[in-house]
Amino acid sequence: MAEIDNLFRSMRISAAGMNAQGTRLRVIAENIANADSLGQTPGSSPYRRKTVTFRNELDRSIGTDTVRVEKIGVDRSEFEKRFDPQHPAADPDGYVLVPNVNTLVEMMDMREAQRSYEANLSVIKASRKMLNSTIDLLR
Amino acid sequence: MDFSKITILSAMKKRLAWLGQRQEILAQNIANADTPGKKANDLVPLDFKRLVGRENRQIAVQRTHKAHLTSGFKAPRDFTEKESRKPYETAPAGNAIILEEQMMKLGKTSADHKLMTELYKKHMNMFRIAIGKA
Repeated sequence: MAEIDNLFRSMRISAAGMNAQGTRLRVIAENIANADSLGQTPGSSPYRRKTVTFRNELDRSIGTDTVRVEKIGVDRSEFEKRFDPQHPAADPDGYVLVPNVNTLVEMMDMREAQRSYEANLSVIKASRKMLNSTIDLLR
Repeated sequence: MDFSKITILSAMKKRLAWLGQRQEILAQNIANADTPGKKANDLVPLDFKRLVGRENRQIAVQRTHKAHLTSGFKAPRDFTEKESRKPYETAPAGNAIILEEQMMKLGKTSADHKLMTELYKKHMNMFRIAIGKA
């Protein structure tokens, strides 16, 4: 029955979506964890923020479009400077470069990833319910 | 007795197939809710004329041997998809999928599916009554 196939495919698609959001969450965790990772020697650069992009992709094994992480890139924006002459990475003027991670932005991104993850989970639940009610027709 | 010859049952079967395919499309939309440039898709609503009208299905070439090449084509679908023309809002990255809207459609699809399967059961029960086995 074609309908059951569709429902199984829906679950695969949602699983791919959850997988992608999971990767995004992992990258966000990396960013937050490294929000204070500074350089060790004068002039060395601190942790650079990572970014995730998604792509819509045809999954040939099930013949339908799913989603996957396209690439984990880096945020090329400028580092901020903090005055801290005691720090080993301080330049001659006493400034240290700090990571370009904005915790507030990361938290917001995290919430968004969480919401999307939950949405995908709801789709799986709904598909499973539909599948069950179809199978129940046999009773 | 061929149940698919009974109009109401074959119509229900088609409706269920439509709902199944719609579920797949909604799953795609929701999975791609953060993909740049992706627009929401939906199925063309099922109308009665289509329900009783001629079937138009694409024919897929069967793979009978593992050495046969698979085409990059998508699996054939019975109902036509369309991109929503007027998105409610579009993100700066070009994504026009509103999660709330998709969740609402998902709820409706689930409810309709429940309705159809229950109706199917009811009809089957009526047949059972007719043959005296209820």
